[in-house]
Amino acid sequence: MKRKGLLLIATLLTAVSLIVAGCAGENAKSAGGKIVVGSKNFNENIILGEMLAQLIEAKTDLQVERKLNLGGTLVCFNALKNGDLDLYPDYTGTGLMAILKQPVETDPDKVYNYVQEQYNKKFKLKWLKPFGFNNTYAIAVPRETAEKYNLEKVSDLVPLAGNMVFGAEQEFFNRPDGYDGLVKTYGLKFKNTKSFETALKYQATAQGKIDVTDAFSTDGELITYDLKILEDDKKFFPPYFCTAVVRMDTLEKYPELEDTLNMLAGQISDEEMQQLNYQVAEKGRDAKEVVREFLENKGII
Amino acid sequence: MGQILQLTLEHLCLSAAGVLVAGLVGVPLGILLVRARALAGPVMSLVDVLQTIPSLAMLALVMFFLGLGNNSLIAALFVYALLPILRNTYTGLAGVSPDLLEAGKGMGMTGWQLLRQVQLPIALPIILAGFRVAMVTAIGIATIGTLIGAGGLGEPIWRGIQLANTFMIMTGAVPAALLAIIADVLLGGLEKALVPRGLRAKNI
Amino acid sequence: MNPLLELLTRSWADILMATWQHVYLSLGSVALGALVAVPLGIWLSSRQNIARVVLSIAGTIQTIPSLAFFGFTLPVLGIGVLPAMVVLFLYSLLPILRNTYTGIREVPGELIEAGRGMGMNDRQLLFMVKLPMALPVIMAGIRISSVYIISWATIAALIGAGGLGDLIWGGMNVYDIWLILAGTIPAALLALLASFILGRLEKAVTPRGLRST
Repeated sequence: MKRKGLLLIATLLTAVSLIVAGCAGENAKSAGGKIVVGSKNFNENIILGEMLAQLIEAKTDLQVERKLNLGGTLVCFNALKNGDLDLYPDYTGTGLMAILKQPVETDPDKVYNYVQEQYNKKFKLKWLKPFGFNNTYAIAVPRETAEKYNLEKVSDLVPLAGNMVFGAEQEFFNRPDGYDGLVKTYGLKFKNTKSFETALKYQATAQGKIDVTDAFSTDGELITYDLKILEDDKKFFPPYFCTAVVRMDTLEKYPELEDTLNMLAGQISDEEMQQLNYQVAEKGRDAKEVVREFLENKGII
Repeated sequence: MGQILQLTLEHLCLSAAGVLVAGLVGVPLGILLVRARALAGPVMSLVDVLQTIPSLAMLALVMFFLGLGNNSLIAALFVYALLPILRNTYTGLAGVSPDLLEAGKGMGMTGWQLLRQVQLPIALPIILAGFRVAMVTAIGIATIGTLIGAGGLGEPIWRGIQLANTFMIMTGAVPAALLAIIADVLLGGLEKALVPRGLRAKNI
Repeated sequence: MNPLLELLTRSWADILMATWQHVYLSLGSVALGALVAVPLGIWLSSRQNIARVVLSIAGTIQTIPSLAFFGFTLPVLGIGVLPAMVVLFLYSLLPILRNTYTGIREVPGELIEAGRGMGMNDRQLLFMVKLPMALPVIMAGIRISSVYIISWATIAALIGAGGLGDLIWGGMNVYDIWLILAGTIPAALLALLASFILGRLEKAVTPRGLRST
């Protein structure tokens, strides 16, 4: 009995020490000169997170830790506020409505100035200069459907909606600039709604599980799945700038960081962003490689 | 390949860490509850309720308090691993036949000796079964840890689902499944090996 | 106004709908699981060798992490309610199967002998002796399955199965902790309710002669 007890204790101790040793490699956090870059859990945001990370690595002596593909705005913003992240790319409209809980606003400059002011004051966070592209929501249908019913604008859906299923990621159903506002503005009554993980809604259209979906205007999948964007004729969706949101204390500590990251200001057009998304999401290329290629072609690194 | 191996190791580490912390709390708590049985009901129900919180929400909530990263994941795993360990420790110890305890007392054993030399050895296989369930559960839940910036095999699974890349999904899903199955078999074996010799025949 | 109250007044219909989808998804899977596992468990109870194989297969399925499982089925079954139900159904099998099997095998030999002595055939033995004796154990298996399937069904929202997971995912993406709670609390309550009702049922089906224990 004694020997068995000893054996057990020895096993436990070995297990503990192995685990401590094995997991210890992770805990090198916040050693001097390290920037933690985050991103949300969809393709474009992951690519942009990777881009910011590579830019810092190429232009400064700072080390970068990547925490990409985190569980949504909630996780990212909270981590940024608490200092677990130093920066992540976000969209001004998301800041306005999801974080600051303000009503929809369609003037992009107004939105940018408002979130800048509020973020500075309330959270000690700073929005850098926008990357250039405007990633707004768009309503998309398979091209076949569009041709069959001669669809051009979102308003054209009104008489058909009763027989159509609308699908989107969960987020769209919970944003003021999302589903509820859309159907109200246009007077749409869809037969049913379905929600999916962001990337899966496109597969759902291909499988005929949904007839209409929301898209980001820069999604690469629009190309592959041959979807047609319907014109937002009632101007419901606000335009959004995307840029890095950074902790102010990080910017103070590493003054070179702001200028470095602002090298991306105005550098990515709608088409370029869509191409980047397409290369990764649809061509299956490695995001790291696609990003490096882009930065090199632009002469940024 | 090297990366898969590293992620697998990391996954194992994180799961084991959660289970270990749960063991460090659950076993002593179970022992305590056997001595204060009036408390056993309420404590067990509380842990039961915690267990019904969906893992996704648990991670989000834990993150609010502990921030991003491995520590938050380990804390969430701890919550889910606690119930099977606590329950099995309690039922294992409470199930030791009173005759044996009487016999021990008759031999002049103190409470501590009774626990160490009679109750624990007899309950050990049941306690270990609790650890086994806890470990398998932890390995499963750890796959969603990547959502809050923890490491492990969840990363390629999520990314693969997003990219509709079956191969990438499999590089995470296959090792994760294997890890769980192997842990199950190994701990199951240990469980059998630790049944006190005198009790083995009865178990057939 | 209290944000939770505001959420409830604004989206109570959505929450109710999601709860209903959740009930349908999880209890549907468990019901299907019981329909398969109980007869299978009965059949296996007289075939020990096959039983060992089948139980270990079910046990292996059980250990596969749910996210990995959805990963496996995604390329084959695609997205929607059906693949989610397939996965949840497979998960529900083990506890029901194992409990049916052991429940029936542990019916005391004397009782079976007594039944035989009264001239019962196999069928009568099964329905009048073995099953009534094993029913509480079988019900316990169904209860255990239900509780964790209700919790795991939240992950199925990822592949478009709907349910309370939708609210949790939504909350994570729009930075709304109340929305997360609006998904979490009903899910936890459902699990507790299922556990309570099935626990009661377990007691109710215990043959009167056995209740004192």
